[in-house]
Amino acid sequence: MFRHLFKLIWNKKKENFLMITEMLVSFLVIFAVLSMTVFYYHNYRQPMGFDYEDVWVVNYSAPQSAQRGDSAMLFRQTIRQMLLSMPQIKKLSFAGSNVPFAMSTSNSNIDYNGKSVLANIYDSEISYASVLNMHLKEGRWFTQADEVSKYPPVVINEMTKEALFGKDQAVGKLIGKDNPLKVVGVVQNLKDKGDYQPVEYGMYKLMDTGSYHHASTILLKVQPGTDAAFEGKIFKQLSNAIGSSIEIEHLDKKLASKNKIFLVPAIIATIVAAFLIINVALGLFGVLWYNINKRRSEIGLRRAVGATGNSVSKQLVGEALMLSTFALIIGSFFAVQFPLLNVFDLPEGVYIIAMVLSILFIYFLVIICALYPGRQAAAIYPATALHED
Amino acid sequence: MLKNYFKIAIAVLKRRKFFTFISLFGISFTLTILIVLTAFVDNIVSANYPEVNRDRSLYIISIQQKDTVHQGQMTGPASYYYLSHYVETLKTPAMVAISSMFAPTNAYVNNRKLVLNMKYTNDAFWKVLQFQFLEGKPYTQQQIENGEHIAVITEDTKQQYFGDVPSVVGKYIEADNVQYRVTGVVKSVPVIMPVTYADIFVPYTFSKADWRTKTYSGSYTAVLLANSPSDFKKIQAEYANVVAKIPPENKDFNVLVSSADTYLKSFLAISNKGNGVEILTTVILVFALFVMLLPTLNLININISRIMERSSEIGVRKAFGASSKTLVIQFIVENLILTIFGAVLGLLVSFIIIQMINNSNLIANIHLTINFTVLFYALLACLAFGLFSGVYPAWRMSKMHIATALKAQ
Repeated sequence: MFRHLFKLIWNKKKENFLMITEMLVSFLVIFAVLSMTVFYYHNYRQPMGFDYEDVWVVNYSAPQSAQRGDSAMLFRQTIRQMLLSMPQIKKLSFAGSNVPFAMSTSNSNIDYNGKSVLANIYDSEISYASVLNMHLKEGRWFTQADEVSKYPPVVINEMTKEALFGKDQAVGKLIGKDNPLKVVGVVQNLKDKGDYQPVEYGMYKLMDTGSYHHASTILLKVQPGTDAAFEGKIFKQLSNAIGSSIEIEHLDKKLASKNKIFLVPAIIATIVAAFLIINVALGLFGVLWYNINKRRSEIGLRRAVGATGNSVSKQLVGEALMLSTFALIIGSFFAVQFPLLNVFDLPEGVYIIAMVLSILFIYFLVIICALYPGRQAAAIYPATALHED
Repeated sequence: MLKNYFKIAIAVLKRRKFFTFISLFGISFTLTILIVLTAFVDNIVSANYPEVNRDRSLYIISIQQKDTVHQGQMTGPASYYYLSHYVETLKTPAMVAISSMFAPTNAYVNNRKLVLNMKYTNDAFWKVLQFQFLEGKPYTQQQIENGEHIAVITEDTKQQYFGDVPSVVGKYIEADNVQYRVTGVVKSVPVIMPVTYADIFVPYTFSKADWRTKTYSGSYTAVLLANSPSDFKKIQAEYANVVAKIPPENKDFNVLVSSADTYLKSFLAISNKGNGVEILTTVILVFALFVMLLPTLNLININISRIMERSSEIGVRKAFGASSKTLVIQFIVENLILTIFGAVLGLLVSFIIIQMINNSNLIANIHLTINFTVLFYALLACLAFGLFSGVYPAWRMSKMHIATALKAQ
């Protein structure tokens, strides 16, 4: 059966060449779009790892006079007391500029035992974990005692732990070459770049007097239902207290706008791809239909020597499937290079799922397009078909 | 002759309506994508409101301080100090507009929160950039020197802050915890123009980061208006001279790199060393080619089927002495006619889509238009489309033997 179909197609390889190219390009388009979709979906399924509701971010730049040393400490103390005296604010933490869903990132290599990862470095405080309701997996978060420890304490996320330590215990180990840092805890991964973004390596540092000038945001956990009137009030107070331009944002709104940045191009790409595929499907349908009309006498002959309508229709669908298999083999050869060469740094599983889905999709498309022409062919009467010739 | 081809083409199109539909769908849809894409690119690149003087403006978007010994570098916008000392003093430019990158701040009205993007500017900003004042006027150098708390706002800000009122000039707006008196209202600018986009414009003297600080890096950009584009070389040479003489800011750096470039180049130069424009053009071309590839293949496939259907006609014409060349030309002309139909349809669809994008607030205040450049490229793409999809089938058809062609029916 297969050999027979193969022979039929091989004999007409010149005519079929363009069809195969078209299917091949469609496969690659579908593969690209599905890789993206599967990747986004995979990320979407990951847990957030923290709470972002009712968390506000104050962006500020500390005045020159309060950037270092004791004055920085005092500056912070004043702001903290002022804010915590308000009943609407439950908790707060100073932080670096790369708070969740912010555009800014800050990263650096961390090394352990010859392994190295490029990780996001978060400047945090003792209250940071509770403001965001982070979940500790091992060890503990920073405490007051850490401020005077011999090695600067750090907390890493699960992903970093797995990359550097594998199954081993991470708590208590020293990481980094020149300036060793002591791991005191491991937190659940925070998906802090947006719903559809992958989890990244992360390391949390405790800010001390030497790094207070890194702080440029304040995270506020407010009571649910706190309104704009209150926000206006603290905006005024903070603005007066800090003396530089400030801005207050809400984490949930930041998430929405961050998601939009990734979704809009994805949706546009999907719409374009959908139109391309409709185009291809119509074309495929037209060509198959035309080819069957051209082969009326051959089909009539097949019917005359005893082929049933069903088997004729099966044969035609089979031929179309054979053609697409050619295209898919070539296409898969290209597609498989992506995980092999690790082109876009996506997980291998994403490519494989996308490839399987694209193959199924192309087969499905071809069957849909071949079914009606095949059925039409099955309805050919041998007598009329042979008579025409 | 052409009239005949046209008649035949119409007759053929009418015969197999389904195939005609597929062809037209493919062509018009591909063109729509290309036209919308070029409209976007055109909107970003060309001189639109309020940067209508872009063809005689040079931009300084960022400066780079380098440490060639330790391979360190710092790139970013310049400070007001730097631009006012080393750029504003240049002799060749007619005027220099200095403005900060827009930075968000909040305003609170009637228990509602507004996010206002603020921009600090000098007075030349209003002369170099052609903002359209719906009411009032810009602030002057005199007013800046007097330290008047004055602001120019956009019509969107007016609508959001004051609501539906006829005039707001002279009223007060509170932004970033400071009261400003509104002196003018301008037409809003889309966010894709970072040099001119903002919701509220105030004099640079009100910037809370001290504008007198003698540091080089900051948050300001400059637009240098030349008397004519032919002055570009002179301005660039003069600026290069000045840059070469600027002492390093501190011992962390030993080299300062900065140049005044045309709009697109100045932005692309930040991430790519010099050849950013070429890279962008290549990316867009590759994308356009890829989008065109599938429909072209599809069209070739369909055209082959359609042409073979007409083998008897070809046979007869050949038998009566028509040369292969005549036949090929005829089929290409037919194909071009089909493509032109598709093009008209595509133009219509893209017109609708562009209207939808303009009204959808996807990017606020963006105003995409199908202009003549876009139309020209679209027609060019169309022609290429018609030729590509017509040549191969026509060539295959013309090689057909008379006997087979006649027998095929």
